[in-house]
Amino acid sequence: MRWIWIDAFVEFESRRRASAVKNISRAEDYLHDHFSGYPVMPASLLIEGMAQTAGILVGEARGFKENVILAKIRKAEFDGYAVPGDQIRFDAVLETIDDRAAATTGLVLKNGNAMGKVDLIFSHVNQADRSLDLPDENFVFTDQFLNLLASFRSSVGHGIPTDVGK
Amino acid sequence: MKFGFVDSIIELTRSERIVAVKAVSAAEEYLADHFPTFPVLPGVLMLEALVESAAWLVRDAQAFASSMVLLQNAKNVTFKSFVKPGSLLRLEVTCRQLAQGDSDFDGIGFCNQTEVVRARFALQHFCLQEREPSLAAVDRRITEEAKERFSLLRRSVNVR
Amino acid sequence: MAVNGNEVFSKVQDVLTDALGVDAAEVSSEATLQGDLGAESIDFLDIVFRLEKAFAIKIPKGELFPDDILNNPDYVAGDRLTPTGLERLKTAMPHADFSKFEGEPSVSKMPDLFTVGTIVKYVENKLRAA
Repeated sequence: MRWIWIDAFVEFESRRRASAVKNISRAEDYLHDHFSGYPVMPASLLIEGMAQTAGILVGEARGFKENVILAKIRKAEFDGYAVPGDQIRFDAVLETIDDRAAATTGLVLKNGNAMGKVDLIFSHVNQADRSLDLPDENFVFTDQFLNLLASFRSSVGHGIPTDVGK
Repeated sequence: MKFGFVDSIIELTRSERIVAVKAVSAAEEYLADHFPTFPVLPGVLMLEALVESAAWLVRDAQAFASSMVLLQNAKNVTFKSFVKPGSLLRLEVTCRQLAQGDSDFDGIGFCNQTEVVRARFALQHFCLQEREPSLAAVDRRITEEAKERFSLLRRSVNVR
Repeated sequence: MAVNGNEVFSKVQDVLTDALGVDAAEVSSEATLQGDLGAESIDFLDIVFRLEKAFAIKIPKGELFPDDILNNPDYVAGDRLTPTGLERLKTAMPHADFSKFEGEPSVSKMPDLFTVGTIVKYVENKLRAA
């Protein structure tokens, strides 16, 4: 299981909002254990999809200088569940950001329909804060995440299909 | 990889409280991405471990009547510390309410007696055949596997 | 701006019940955020953000919960605040009640200054000045 819970950005307005999609596929092998014979996307991983969407929005707002760490899930609520073939969209809004922390709100959509809300607080963690043998360089914003944003920016105008007209 | 974030159940008071452990190992593949230079258990997987602990309490309390046990909502989940490979995460989950189709819990995770995560969350539980009668066989399969996994997880505990 | 004390208390109560997951009954004026209501450091940040939104105010860093006292050697000696430290804290927190604290200004008792009443007073002061 890789740790990347969004597939592509479909919107990105610096310091304001971002939307990313995640397709759910039977080819994701962890699904076959949740549950055997009837794969269902775990809600905890939907929360992570929002955290990755919102976390990149927060990080980009300050030039990816800080380590943006999920510190609190204010609330996460889901109506129903998602299965292979569904396309999830995470719409994140940056509510507040300062030196120490940021707050985001977000909607989770399944095939264009509202299925959840996830509101988060992120902490900006640097070496001075926690004295926990943190790496010298930013450890959160790996190429994996930065490339997602770069792909979106270079694809703007080229169009990534997000809706197969379900 | 198998999607399961509870490695053993060490205490269980039926319908009331469960104590379980998630062992964190560098061999877990997703750690290579989270993060490459600083591998730590993702916060949502701490929540998942609390949710799965609660799910085992529900399955045991209902004699495995529901095949599907899912997280419905979580509130005020705070992550206090990083949890590194080599750590044992002790999950203490207390049931506030347990009805046939839904339940409510408070959960705390500890590493070496230090609190690392705290959450309040609700689950929903049901059988697929309630919504689609043709899925009765799938319910049975999920339930059988759950029973097997449960007996492996609690091999050293007496259910009170 | 005219300030309605009951309204402020009620909105502060809502902020704290949402942020901390406690019952409204527990959110009395004397309740301490950390000791009685179980608030942790991230909750303090969450509370500041929610208060800003609920009351349309801006809360600069350290204005509600001063954070530059404990790491200043002039203000702390051993486990107590120095007289300078106590003065500095009182100046920084006109919204807090020091009657119990000033007799024994120990560092470990500082969190007891952060009560629900402290927040209500802060918001009232802020709204009046607006």
